[in-house]
Amino acid sequence: MPGSSVSWAAKVLAVTRKDITAEFRTRYAINSILMFALVTLTVISMALGLMTPDSDLMAALFWVILFFAAMSGLAQVFIKEEEAGTALILKLSTEGLVIFFGKLIFNLLLLTVLSVLIVPLFIILLKVTPQNWAVFLIGLVLGDIGLAGATTIIAAIVAKATVKGALFTVLSFPILLPLLMAVIDITKVAFGGGNFGDISTGLQLLVAYDVVMVTVSVMLFDFVWRQ
Amino acid sequence: MWWKILIFAAMSAVIIAAFMTPSPMNPAISLGDADVYRIFYFHVPQAWVAALAFVLSMIFSIKFLKTRDMQYDTKAVLAAKLGLVFAVLATVTGSIFAKMTWGEFWNWAEIREVSIFILLIIYGAYFALRSALPNAETKATLSAVLSILFAVSAVFLIFILPRLYADFSQHPSDSVVDREGQITMGATVAAIFFSSLAVFTALFAWIYNVSLRIAKAYDKNLPEN
Repeated sequence: MPGSSVSWAAKVLAVTRKDITAEFRTRYAINSILMFALVTLTVISMALGLMTPDSDLMAALFWVILFFAAMSGLAQVFIKEEEAGTALILKLSTEGLVIFFGKLIFNLLLLTVLSVLIVPLFIILLKVTPQNWAVFLIGLVLGDIGLAGATTIIAAIVAKATVKGALFTVLSFPILLPLLMAVIDITKVAFGGGNFGDISTGLQLLVAYDVVMVTVSVMLFDFVWRQ
Repeated sequence: MWWKILIFAAMSAVIIAAFMTPSPMNPAISLGDADVYRIFYFHVPQAWVAALAFVLSMIFSIKFLKTRDMQYDTKAVLAAKLGLVFAVLATVTGSIFAKMTWGEFWNWAEIREVSIFILLIIYGAYFALRSALPNAETKATLSAVLSILFAVSAVFLIFILPRLYADFSQHPSDSVVDREGQITMGATVAAIFFSSLAVFTALFAWIYNVSLRIAKAYDKNLPEN
């Protein structure tokens, strides 16, 4: 509410908390994301069977799994509001940017849960271990931030469309491509045992991408949300 | 009317010149038949128009978001439609050239092929969104937002792609500019090439204008000019 004493950060977290509560009640996104990731991972590891592909290929496969799992569920944050008819009430309760950051943090949490579950499974089932954990983790964290940051506004866009699921992947792919290329490069280095010196340009690019994408989304979000 | 005739005459002149003069490629160093390299006179201008249309479409999208004037949405869509056509043409001519010189229609290790493919996907996604939105206002706003997001992503790709593909590109660059950006074409080749570039740009502008007039004739809400 404008003029009230509630701080901006508190409002953002209230939106996130609302989504988490709703998520625990309905398990609208988390079940589909996790099962999707599990199925993709199983398909890949069974298809590879006894083959031992090199670590470069593993880095690419890891991000293919994360990309498609993220695509299966991240759009739900806005779709569920449109489907339940609660988008209008949300619009009345607070300003657009609060909603945007609340949803972004929620999507980031979803991706964190996904990553925490998928990384051990990937390591166990595909028998590949990052030689350099620090490089791997920083790539994963920046990659997750980029995935959530760049697709939250796309989720708001597709929520207005008539075909939602497929469209989200189609629209997100060209936007996520620079992120995927940079992050696959970093994960390759991590699996291959390189160190931070090998990924400095990749890291700069990832940080720049995350910052720019969130900033542009912030500038454009009201156009989408007020529609 | 005179536009049409002028473009027709100039295009004919470029086509004749492209085939009557010696090949732009030195036969001693060409891969495959040197005559194949004549496609350069048409392929590069097509790719240029495809990129130009993409930038135009984005500028119109920004103008739409600023003014909320539906005529900019119409313009953005027209630029994108024509851009898609020219991107397809550039992809096909480039692919034929690749087959004749490097032996395969498509190679993912070739940066220019990757970039034009991304451009095609961007256009495809843009039209996929437009056809999935219910009313004109929503369509205009959301596709304008999307086209700005794509443009930002394209800037990143321009930086990241050459870095990842640095040491593998078979695409001829010496025939237009060398790695330092110096124009290395001979006088005749340069004359034909830049005429072709101008004619293709004029062709784009002409089709764009005709389509815009048709769009305005259909929609009375759009202003005359």
